[in-house]
Amino acid sequence: MGHGMGGGGMGGGGGCGNAGVTGNCGLNVQAPATPNIVTPDIEFFRATFMGGNATIDGTNVAIWGFNDGGGGMGGMGGMGGSFPSPPIRVRQGQIVHTHLNVMMMAPHTIHHHGIEPDDHNDGVGHYSFDVLGNYTYQWRASHAGTYFYHCHVNTVLHAEMGMYGALIIDPSSGPGSASDGTSYDVEAIWAVDDIDTSWHCLPWDAALCGGDAGFNNFNPDLFCISGMGQSELDADAGAATPAVAINASRGDTVLLRYIMAGYVPQRVTFHRDLGDITIVAEDGRNLPQKVTLSAGSSIFMTAAERYEFIFSPSTSGNAIPIDIEYFNYRSVSGSLRSIGSITGYVNIN
Amino acid sequence: MERRKFLKIGVGGVAGLVSGSAALLTWTPRSFAATVNVNLNAVAGDITMPDNSSAYMLSFSSNNSPQFHGPTILCQEGDTVNVNINNDLSTDTSFVVTGTSINQSITANNSRSFSFSAPAPGTYIYHDDQNNGVNRVMGLNGALVVMPNSNNQSFNNGPTFVRQYKWALHSVDPAWGDTLRSNGHNAVNNINPNSFDPRYFTLNGVSYPDTHNPDTEIEGDFGDAALIRLINTGGIIHSPHFHGNHVEITSINRNNFSGQRKEKDIVSMMPLDARDVIFPFKSPPDAWPPANGAQHYPMHCHSEMSQTMAGGSYPHGLHAGMVIGHSPATEPTL
Repeated sequence: MGHGMGGGGMGGGGGCGNAGVTGNCGLNVQAPATPNIVTPDIEFFRATFMGGNATIDGTNVAIWGFNDGGGGMGGMGGMGGSFPSPPIRVRQGQIVHTHLNVMMMAPHTIHHHGIEPDDHNDGVGHYSFDVLGNYTYQWRASHAGTYFYHCHVNTVLHAEMGMYGALIIDPSSGPGSASDGTSYDVEAIWAVDDIDTSWHCLPWDAALCGGDAGFNNFNPDLFCISGMGQSELDADAGAATPAVAINASRGDTVLLRYIMAGYVPQRVTFHRDLGDITIVAEDGRNLPQKVTLSAGSSIFMTAAERYEFIFSPSTSGNAIPIDIEYFNYRSVSGSLRSIGSITGYVNIN
Repeated sequence: MERRKFLKIGVGGVAGLVSGSAALLTWTPRSFAATVNVNLNAVAGDITMPDNSSAYMLSFSSNNSPQFHGPTILCQEGDTVNVNINNDLSTDTSFVVTGTSINQSITANNSRSFSFSAPAPGTYIYHDDQNNGVNRVMGLNGALVVMPNSNNQSFNNGPTFVRQYKWALHSVDPAWGDTLRSNGHNAVNNINPNSFDPRYFTLNGVSYPDTHNPDTEIEGDFGDAALIRLINTGGIIHSPHFHGNHVEITSINRNNFSGQRKEKDIVSMMPLDARDVIFPFKSPPDAWPPANGAQHYPMHCHSEMSQTMAGGSYPHGLHAGMVIGHSPATEPTL
C-alpha cells in the first residue's frame, strides 16, 4: 500500500491555500507530555503534510496526509507524501509509540481506529486534545488484526483529504499469518476510498466554527484502491511488481486485508475464479466462527469496517477482477442507488 | 403494584424503565401478561434543530406537541398492546411495525383503535411506511421494545446486561418540511424520496453536544455491560463507530445470537434496521499502562457527513459520549 508520491510544498496542493489557526471552535490545542511513558517495543514517526497531490484516474487531486517524519527521523513534514499514508505495522503484545509531529499552522491528531487505548491516547480532540507541536501516542497492541489510523480533527474533511494509513497488528509470531493464525503465501492491503473533488480545496478548519461548507453533501466523483484510480489500476495489473494488483500462484493462500476507507457504502464482489472466500476477521477481531462465501459472492460494507479475506485460487488467469460498487448513502426507501465502481485485480500464475 | 406501574408507563408512552426504584437498573419481568394502552397523536409542527433553526416535521406524539421520535412502546412478550391513534394531519397516516404483519391505516383527520399481541422479544420500529419512506423520515416513527419474561436479557438465553439504552439514528432535510408547511400535509405524497438531502443528523432527536443526556450518553462502571438498541429511522445508511470497546452484536433485526457473537467497532445500519449490541464496559484493552479511572470516548457515525449540522460545525451531528468506569447519576429511560 502506498502510491502516488506527491510533490507540492506548504503552499497547498492543487492551488489550494490553508489558513492558519484562527478560531478555537471546540478545539483543545496542546502538545503535552505522554503520561506514564515507558520505553516502547516499537516506534513510528509521523509528520503531517497538507500540500500533496495524487493522480487518481488521471485527475490531479490535492492530498493531505502523514509521512515518515519528525522526531529523530529528519522531518519531512510540510512536504508531500504518499496517499494513503505509510502503514504502521506492529506485533501483538508490543507497546507502541506513534510520535506525531505537527509543525504547520493546523492541528491534527492520530486516532488508531479500532485500537482502544486510554482516552488520553485516543486522538480525539473533544475528549482529550488536538496536537500542534509534538505528541507521542502510547498504546499496546492487544489483538492481532487489520486497522487503520487517521486524523480526528474536523474529521469529515481531514479523513477525506487522505489523512489515513493502514495499521496492521500481526500475531506475536510476526507477518505470515492472518489474525486467526492461518498462514498465507501472499498478502495484500487495500484501502478502498471515495473522493468528492469539490471538497479538496478547503482550509483545514472549513466550517469548524459554523457556516456551511457543504459537508452534509458528499457526492464522490473519484474512486480508488490504495490511492489508485481505475486507469492506474489497469496499468498496475500488468506491472512487473504491481503496487495494488495481487500476484499469486495457483494453490497459494492469499490474505486480502480490506480497509473500507470511504464514506459511502461499498459492495465487494469476488470473481468466481478466485474460488471460495473465507472471512477470518472483521474490525480487528477474529470471527467466533469463520464465514466462507461461495465463489462469486458479494459482501456489503459500510464506512470504516475492515475485513480479512482468505482465498486460494485454483484457476490461473490474468486480471481476475474484484469489483467494488459504491452506493449513495442517502436511501430513504432502503433501496441502493449505485454511484460508481472500481475494479482491483488478481493475477494467478 | 408492579403491573399498575407498568401500565402507567405504557399509557403515558414515557418509557421510564423502573420509575421509583433506583435499585432496579433495567427491567423487572412479570409472570403474567398485561395490557398496555398507547395513545398517539399524529401531528405536525416545528422541531428545533441543533443550530436552533426550525424544521417542520411530522410525528406520533404522546401529547399534542410535535415530538422528535414517537414515544418508545415498552412491553413484554405475551402482552396485549391497545393502540389508539388520532390522526390530526390532513393526510393519511399508517402504523406499521417492522418484521411483523402489524399494518394499520388511519385516514386524514380521523382516529382508529386496534390491538396486537406483543411480538417476539426484540427491538422494532413502528412507522408510517407510506411514500417509500418519506413519511417515516419526516418523523412518523418510534421504537417498540418487547422484553422477554427473563431477567436482564433482551431475549431468552441472551447475554445479560445492567442497563439498556435506545439509540434512534435519524437525518433531517428541512426542505421537505418547508414543502409541507407551504403546501399542506398532503404534499408529502409528492415528495420524491431520492430528493433527500439531509442537513441534520441526530441520535434520539438531538445532536452532539446535546447528546450529553442520561438517555443518550452511555455510562457505566467497569464490567457493567449495557445493551444498546440501535434503530435507523432516518434516510441515510449509517456506520456507527465505537471507541473504547468493541461491541458484541447480539441481534440483527431480531435474529438473535445466543453465543458466538461477533465483536465489531462498526455497526452497519441500513434504514429500518434494528441492531442490538452489548457494550461491555471493559477497561480499554489497548491502554498502556492499564487505564486508571473513568475514560471518556465518543461513538460517532463514520459516514462522516453525519458529523455535521447545516453543512459544517463538526462534530455537531450523530455523535454521543460514552463514559467507561463511572455509573450514571441518572438512570437512562428508553
